[in-house]
Amino acid sequence: MAILETRALSKQFGGLRAVDRVDLVLEPGQILGVIGPNGAGKTTLFSLIAGSQAPSSGEVLLDGRRVDGKPAYKLVRAGVVRTHQIVRPFPNLSVAENVAVGAMHAAGRAHGPVRDRAVEVLEFVGLAERARAMPGTLTLAGRKRLELARALATAPRVLLLDEVIAGLNPSEAQALAALIRRIRDERGVSIIMIEHVMPAVMSLSDRVLVLDQGRMIAEGSPEEVVRNQAVVDAYLGESHRKASA
Amino acid sequence: MSRGFRPPAPPRLLLGYGIVVAGLAALPWFTELTVYSHNLMTLAFLSIAGALAWNWMGGFLGQVSFGHAAMFGVGGFVAARILLAGPVPAPLAWLAGGLAAGVFALGAHPTLRLRGPYFSIATIGMGEATRLLFTYWEDFTGGSSGLSLPIQTDMKHHLYWWGLGLVALVAAASWLIRHSALGLQLLAIKADVDAAADLGVSATFYQDLVFALSGAVVGVTGGMWASYFSFIEPNDMFGFDRSIAFVLMAVIGGVGTVLGPLLGAVVFVLLRQYLLASYPQLYLGLYGLLLIFIILFEPLGLTGLWLRLWRRLPWARAEA
Ligand SMILES: Nc1ncnc2c1ncn2[C@@H]1O[C@H](COP(=O)(O)OP(=O)(O)OP(=O)(O)O)[C@@H](O)[C@H]1O
Ligand SMILES: [Mg+2]
Repeated sequence: MAILETRALSKQFGGLRAVDRVDLVLEPGQILGVIGPNGAGKTTLFSLIAGSQAPSSGEVLLDGRRVDGKPAYKLVRAGVVRTHQIVRPFPNLSVAENVAVGAMHAAGRAHGPVRDRAVEVLEFVGLAERARAMPGTLTLAGRKRLELARALATAPRVLLLDEVIAGLNPSEAQALAALIRRIRDERGVSIIMIEHVMPAVMSLSDRVLVLDQGRMIAEGSPEEVVRNQAVVDAYLGESHRKASA
Repeated sequence: MSRGFRPPAPPRLLLGYGIVVAGLAALPWFTELTVYSHNLMTLAFLSIAGALAWNWMGGFLGQVSFGHAAMFGVGGFVAARILLAGPVPAPLAWLAGGLAAGVFALGAHPTLRLRGPYFSIATIGMGEATRLLFTYWEDFTGGSSGLSLPIQTDMKHHLYWWGLGLVALVAAASWLIRHSALGLQLLAIKADVDAAADLGVSATFYQDLVFALSGAVVGVTGGMWASYFSFIEPNDMFGFDRSIAFVLMAVIGGVGTVLGPLLGAVVFVLLRQYLLASYPQLYLGLYGLLLIFIILFEPLGLTGLWLRLWRRLPWARAEA
């Protein structure tokens, strides 16, 4: 059974249908890539799944049980957590304290004191040395790792990553891609990942979902999706198809 | 600046805390305090406890309440009613007043979805509504003629130590909250309520909790206040300037810092004493100016000023 599923999930902003009847399926242990042009509704889709915003219609199912309409903090306890495209560290808390806030809510899925779990996650993402620093002193790559670490500290079963690789230089991007793979392989976390960086999407994703103007225009293996004419037209452009052919 | 999390109370801090509390407790025996200064210190203790508790809400959680007089008044009148009803030990009556005030604070639940200035404005409304309600509820509060409490000999004198004890408790609680899991979540809510929710923090639960705790402490000070003056009157107990005073004390001392509000309350009480005697018509206006100056030039108040001076000292520079 799918760990997470949406059925005709939709969000209306005034006259704009930001998310339009999206049916998504995430199998346990999978990485599902989500791509699409700017304004396609990718971040809004995450907000609906994670409970940051209530859907206008449609369903979200976790382990086959409906969770749509639940507030974000309850979804975290149920095992669904998101990161933010524009990182949002708590600037008044140290790096370790930021992670500790997440670690406090790993209801039932994590063991040991909050402090130990926060330290463990900091080591896992490679921020242990900066534990006592304030977030404002981190580089962008560091802040992206912090955003990831906070979410990971909640011991999620489903992790929603919103462009954690975008904006990094190639070596940082590769390191973060490797980290995402380890989260799935070593921790068994199922991941949905919004990303514009195509090499990362192609190499990490088991399946890819393409959004355009709120609608799912394609879904399939990475190879299938990049060959899809509709996807090329809406998002990738002709040059990409030739390059990848 | 760097911080880990949950450091144990450093021994030097504990020692300093013990010395200050014990010193203040022994003070009236060692020096000939005039009745005037003995009483002034008692009132200062009540203000300090209130300012520290206000800061849990306004400083740690970042929800600036302009309505805390409501809990002060509820605590005061409930305690007074209990003391009038029969021979009950005063501390029990204060405690009951605090409890009632804490429960009353939960009535603000619907306003907790508001944030920042919207929350503040809502609390002004709630505070004033509470004042009117209790002024008209003459059976309970005596209306504008107020309530006179049974006189207890030496109560005023003993309140010095009760007040000091309350300050000691509330100051310790402030430190513990700030350095606990609870405090981290309050600061996270203050920084970004939605990001905190996305990490599992239930903002409304913690806001309710902290508003109730903060209100309960302020309610206890209201009860002690009633015992101190043996007479209370709703327009004074629920007065808007009382709500403002909580904000001012915290702002003068340093909003959100652990002990800033304590300093702020001391300065506030002394200033008020002086200003009321010398410029009774101007004193509220002067506070307004002070508030503007602090917010413009030193948002962390006296604590911020102190940190700035400290960094300029030669040994602090050598350390850095
Ligand atoms: N709270 C909101 N109110 C009104 N419109 C919104 C709101 N949030 C998003 N939108 C609109 O919904 C559409 C989808 O936005 P969304 O942020 O989900 O896109 P995205 O696919 O994440 O884009 P990007 O790649 O730029 O991050 C956009 O047109 C956006 O302007
Ligand atoms: Mg987006």
